[in-house]
Amino acid sequence: MLENYYPLLVILSIAVFLGFLVVALGVLFGPRRPTARKGAPYESGMVPYGEGRRRISVRYYLIAVLFILFDIEIVFFLPWAVVLRQLGVEGLIGMFLFVGVLLVGFVYVWKKGALEWE
Amino acid sequence: MLVEWIIKSVVIVLFMTAGFAYVTLYERRLLARMQTRIGPNRAGPFGLLQPVADGIKLIFKEELVPHNADKLIFTLAPVITVIPALIITAVIPWGDTLTIGGTKITLYLTDVNIGILYLMAVTSISVYGITLAGWSSNNKYALLGGLRATAQMISYELALGLSFVGPILIAGSMSLLDIVKAQSSIPFILLQPAGFIIFFLASLAEVNRAPFDMPEAEQELTAGYHVEYSGMKFALFFMAEYIKLIAVAMIGSTLFLGGYQGPFVDQFPILGPVYLFAKVIIWLGVFIWLRATLPRIRYDRLMAFGWKIMFPIALLNVLVTAVVLVLVGG
Amino acid sequence: MNDRLLSSTVDEAVSSRLSGLLTEDTRPGYSGYLVAPENLLEAVQILRDELGFDYLSSVTGVDYLEEDRLETVYHFYRSTGGSGLVLKSSCSRENGRIPSLTPIYPGAEFQEREAWDLLGIRFEGHPDLRRILMWEGFDGHPLRKDWREPYFEEEAKPFKSRWPDGKAVRSEEKTPFGDNVCFPPDFDPQTWQAEPETVIERLQQDEKPLADEEIQTDRIVVNLGPQHPSTHGVFRMTVMLDGETIVSLKPVMGYLHRNHEKIAERNTFLQNMPFTDRLDYLASMSNNFGYAIAVEKLMGVTPPERAEYIRVIMAELTRISSHIMTTGFLLNDLGAFFTPALYALEERELILDIFEMVSGSRMMCNYFRFGGVVRDIPEDVLGRIRQLVTDRLPRKIDELDSYLTNNEIVKTRCQGVGVLTDVQAIAYSAAGPILRASGVPYDVRRADPYSIYDRFDFDVAVQTHGDVYDRYLVRLQEMRESLKILRQALRDIPGGPVLAGKPQYQVRVPAGEAYGRVEGPKGELGFYVVSNGKPNPYRYHVRAPSFINLTSLETMCMHQKVADAVVVLGSVDIILGEVDR
Repeated sequence: MLENYYPLLVILSIAVFLGFLVVALGVLFGPRRPTARKGAPYESGMVPYGEGRRRISVRYYLIAVLFILFDIEIVFFLPWAVVLRQLGVEGLIGMFLFVGVLLVGFVYVWKKGALEWE
Repeated sequence: MLVEWIIKSVVIVLFMTAGFAYVTLYERRLLARMQTRIGPNRAGPFGLLQPVADGIKLIFKEELVPHNADKLIFTLAPVITVIPALIITAVIPWGDTLTIGGTKITLYLTDVNIGILYLMAVTSISVYGITLAGWSSNNKYALLGGLRATAQMISYELALGLSFVGPILIAGSMSLLDIVKAQSSIPFILLQPAGFIIFFLASLAEVNRAPFDMPEAEQELTAGYHVEYSGMKFALFFMAEYIKLIAVAMIGSTLFLGGYQGPFVDQFPILGPVYLFAKVIIWLGVFIWLRATLPRIRYDRLMAFGWKIMFPIALLNVLVTAVVLVLVGG
Repeated sequence: MNDRLLSSTVDEAVSSRLSGLLTEDTRPGYSGYLVAPENLLEAVQILRDELGFDYLSSVTGVDYLEEDRLETVYHFYRSTGGSGLVLKSSCSRENGRIPSLTPIYPGAEFQEREAWDLLGIRFEGHPDLRRILMWEGFDGHPLRKDWREPYFEEEAKPFKSRWPDGKAVRSEEKTPFGDNVCFPPDFDPQTWQAEPETVIERLQQDEKPLADEEIQTDRIVVNLGPQHPSTHGVFRMTVMLDGETIVSLKPVMGYLHRNHEKIAERNTFLQNMPFTDRLDYLASMSNNFGYAIAVEKLMGVTPPERAEYIRVIMAELTRISSHIMTTGFLLNDLGAFFTPALYALEERELILDIFEMVSGSRMMCNYFRFGGVVRDIPEDVLGRIRQLVTDRLPRKIDELDSYLTNNEIVKTRCQGVGVLTDVQAIAYSAAGPILRASGVPYDVRRADPYSIYDRFDFDVAVQTHGDVYDRYLVRLQEMRESLKILRQALRDIPGGPVLAGKPQYQVRVPAGEAYGRVEGPKGELGFYVVSNGKPNPYRYHVRAPSFINLTSLETMCMHQKVADAVVVLGSVDIILGEVDR
């Protein structure tokens, strides 16, 4: 069973190699003449005001948390989908209950305004 | 065995890399035609050497690293972005089994029984590179672009994941080879039209293509998360983007258009890859066509669309498919 | 008076209501009224509220060096139409102060900043009197008559060093490229750090936070521009963001400033004709038109019939070429990948071909002369224009309409974005499609007809919502109305000469002042010219529509998404050559 995954390891290592090779090519052949101005962050040609890394709008975090919640629930769909034929109506009812729970959460989040981007 | 794996892996990786180079040319030529222009036609016949020229130019470009950037992450981010793009198509079957002089060669690297889970997992990883690039650049445009990209990609991943469920339901397997084989008589696009549309839209958002090309919205954020990148590091982002495009077209073709299936493919398995790539080229053509046609959706509407429309419809599609399958098809 | 700017009823109204405050300007060649600075605000309040002069078209100043005073010149109009009222107020050159009109007309804000920047007139009560076109820290006020530029030679052209032996030495050659930059001894451009700009302070002061905010987010100050792909040139918006929402915005301009007006005051009257091409370089014909009208008012000449028709044809073709390009590039700002823009450029190219046939140049036409145009249009070119106007352009404009107007994404992104109400639009002195999209049917061609526009049958395009979408619709309709005018002009164009009198290099312009205005593609384009009888204009001021339209940018963008700021800017349709001058 597990040997099916070995080829994935092979291609992964080739991809990693290629990724670093490309970076190395640039390092090897590209010129390197840094100056203070070149190293300054680009902001339409102006000196940036304030740091580039900073606290950012909380809505992004909200989206991230919601994603984790719902994505995990979606993963449950996949094995269920594979064996639905065997489970039959029972499986269907089970999934409807599951989706019901999921929808309660979804509606709550929607009504709470977490999906609004204003 | 190992030799076969290495050869196949190298073929896939090289195919994706070369594919990237020529998809850029394909896009530029096709866009030009749609815009009453000619497009690049100077380097080589029909401009066929243009990607090579572009590559050489990028190799000899100076690479800048901003002073306050997190240098390690700044360098790693493009590599982290390109790796998932290169390996995601490893589970896509290019064809069935080919017999050359008595040796049987399977036209796929490996047939994993949780192929679709693999696709979802690798897709999720590709968000990292973009987020890290945006954060490490110490640039406000990059930060905003990276954040937008992250939020957009994870939001549409929900709908994307749900659109996978339809084909799994019908095929009863998560192996992509089984899914393709299940489509030998009828492609799933006919059984799953809603699922197909959801997949198509979500995948557009997933690979940041027009009209969802928010993260690199040139108009307000100049280039978004890769604004500080130059030279080969920039090339890697560019490469990842286009390889993902090919990958999405391959996955979509496999799930909904019958993958390598086509007339006479049973007699001549070598036709498998031909059919697959013909489908991919058409799929890419539609992507390019959309880019030439549509303006960009605004960010807040894009997020609302993903959460409030795509997600519920995708969920509904799954349930309806399941009910029909159990009550009728079972 | 060479031109009665005031109709008699307005005259009566002024004399009955404002007789104590205003005195008539009786200098030869001048018109309008003089007002003492201390009475200015009171008089202007009455003007706006009781006499209906609600539209402040132009604010500028003149430096009368010999009389040791600075004079501000205001041009007021009624948004319902009719001729205008000119008001002037003087102060001393040293410490002169004039009350600011911004409390009554917010549209005076940028114009007064410009007058302070270039002429050094202090406007008391102005909320934000900073330099606008010159950089912070610049020494002096360049439009003052005693201010001299580097490599100054003489007050007026032609310079003796280049005349009459014909041995031209350009001042660029005196300072060859590479040696023309010199820094103070202790200055190293590589390590130099800019001082904090005052614009950041203003940005923080004028922040308007979003209303119901539970969680306080970090504000991000971002520069969009000057080196930015979508600010239509080297224009800069300093933006303060709360997440993706704009809570404060300040435009910064002047990166393309070349002191057009100072150069023009050194030039002779005719030398300025090609120089106006460089203002709004997409609409050089209508720039020529405005300047020609202003100087013709001073000279008292009228162009022959054929010339008037040619002028109208050229101005309307310019309008179409400018509008079609704006429409195409607006879609670019919406994120379309160049397709609409390139489709638009294709049509524009055909119009530019015609310009090349009549004037010899695609963009820098230099076609108008005082009293006519420089050369006649051959009959075959007229035929080509006819073909373009009756066949190709209507078809292509309809095509653009069918592609864009009902596009769902265009609608959701443009409707309700960048709204300017009719009251705001008038108050901010907005002009052109912006004003008309806000529901004010004000078009100089109709409201105060110049040239022969009173002969044509056309509608003033107007919409009511004042958002980006309506500006697009106004432009679309205006192109169709321009075609209507073109068809009539091409039908009626008579034969005959195209220039009154002989062509001459040196025109004789009597002393006096004149304000010539035309409806350019971007809005009301005005030229205020003062002559003292010499071969050069004593004062030459451009009322640049895209500059003044930017006054309302902050209001239009407030609490919009950052992506929409770019779209709003695109809908304002600025041309940096004209904004920065």
